[in-house]
Amino acid sequence: MGKILQLLLRNGGFVTLVLVEAFCFFIIVQFNEKQNAIFTHTAGLFAGRMLERRQQFSDYIGLKDRIDSLTNVNAQLQTDLANARIVKFPHRDTSFIALFDSLNRTDSVRRKVMRPLYEYYTATVIGNSISSANNWLMINRGSADHIAPNMAVVTNNGIIGIVRHVDDHFSMVMSVLHRQTKISAALTKYNAFGSLIWEGGDPSVMTLKYIPKHFDVKVGDEVVTSGFSQMFPRKLLVGHVDGDIGQDPENPYFLIMKVRLSQDMATVGDVYVVRNLFQPEQDSLQVKVRNEQ
Amino acid sequence: MNNKFFPNFWRFFGLVAVQVLLLKQLTVSLGAYFNILLYPLFIFLLPTQLATPYVVLLGFSVGLTVDFFYASIGVHASAGAFAGFFRFLLFSAFAPKGGYSGKEPIFSPAHMGWSLYLQVSAWFFLAHLFWYFSVDDFTIVYFGTVTLKTIAGWVLTMIFVWLYTAMFNPKN
Repeated sequence: MGKILQLLLRNGGFVTLVLVEAFCFFIIVQFNEKQNAIFTHTAGLFAGRMLERRQQFSDYIGLKDRIDSLTNVNAQLQTDLANARIVKFPHRDTSFIALFDSLNRTDSVRRKVMRPLYEYYTATVIGNSISSANNWLMINRGSADHIAPNMAVVTNNGIIGIVRHVDDHFSMVMSVLHRQTKISAALTKYNAFGSLIWEGGDPSVMTLKYIPKHFDVKVGDEVVTSGFSQMFPRKLLVGHVDGDIGQDPENPYFLIMKVRLSQDMATVGDVYVVRNLFQPEQDSLQVKVRNEQ
Repeated sequence: MNNKFFPNFWRFFGLVAVQVLLLKQLTVSLGAYFNILLYPLFIFLLPTQLATPYVVLLGFSVGLTVDFFYASIGVHASAGAFAGFFRFLLFSAFAPKGGYSGKEPIFSPAHMGWSLYLQVSAWFFLAHLFWYFSVDDFTIVYFGTVTLKTIAGWVLTMIFVWLYTAMFNPKN
């Protein structure tokens, strides 16, 4: 007690005052109903505000996780959307099975006939080139994430490329801006399909070939994936006819035209890798046909 | 020792008795706005050369004693402690040349003159009352009420300060 008193004396009256007032504050709140009620109310308000601030902070910190979660949900929705477009619908009293776009059907019909065809996986582009003659992208998903060669890579805005080489945790994607790229695409207006290639140069423009010449193609016509390539689901937006519509010099029965891509290849970030669940089956069938040609 | 101790000892009990037996009843009959708090005069009249921490602790003690009679544990104690520290600031501001010596054992009219005594004690009681009403209301919401109570209480208290000093003319 004597030591405490000496300490207080050495440090002056102000320290004594602060200590005594702190003790007074404690006993006032403890022994007086009115002050206790005011303190409790004020402390409640303060604690509420602090909790709100903490919640806002943790919300902000958790944004990355929420974005990842939403991207996964989006991938699931893309899967559902792609699968909803490709369904097999048995004709009554026949053994024929026809393909229908179930988005034009009622939900009850869709539920009966839907069969999953695609799965979407999320990925992020960690390497990209657009200025070479043959361009590649690297994504942060590999075989450990169910990625395999020949899977399509797309975004919400358009198509990106095809997975070619896969490591455990990373994959190399052959960009659509590659000389070997050949994707089956169709003009939405006529449902006429052709082949989409890149001839180099402008990274925002590709060339659509093998559209039969009797179609009256106009600048601005929408180009989508045909669904015949087995890698890309049907009706994914590719771009719009940009011009140079004319007779293909290599094959006079077909048209050739430039297509402006809907996805800017210079700004690719988050992508989806599309797995065709029946690709092995389809491939083995095609091999049989190839052997008979 | 006895010269300094006993006058303050009796002043402690005398002022606390007047406060709880007389002035408390007077406040009850006059209303909440007419609160007369004379007991801080004990703090004010403590020896001028007493170290501030002692004054703060004695202010706390007299306040806590009054609190037991007012059923307001801590409120008067807080105001008393604050008044003890504020006294140090006031006395420093109004100190005679060369500081306080044996010639001014306490800050009373007998040593400092009536004018200076009333002037300094007026500030002292104003600060004490303001602190007391602030702690009593315990929120800044009632700042206007606190100010009004302080002014009303201060006017009445100063009358009793003058009466007490004129009657007893404390010298030690």
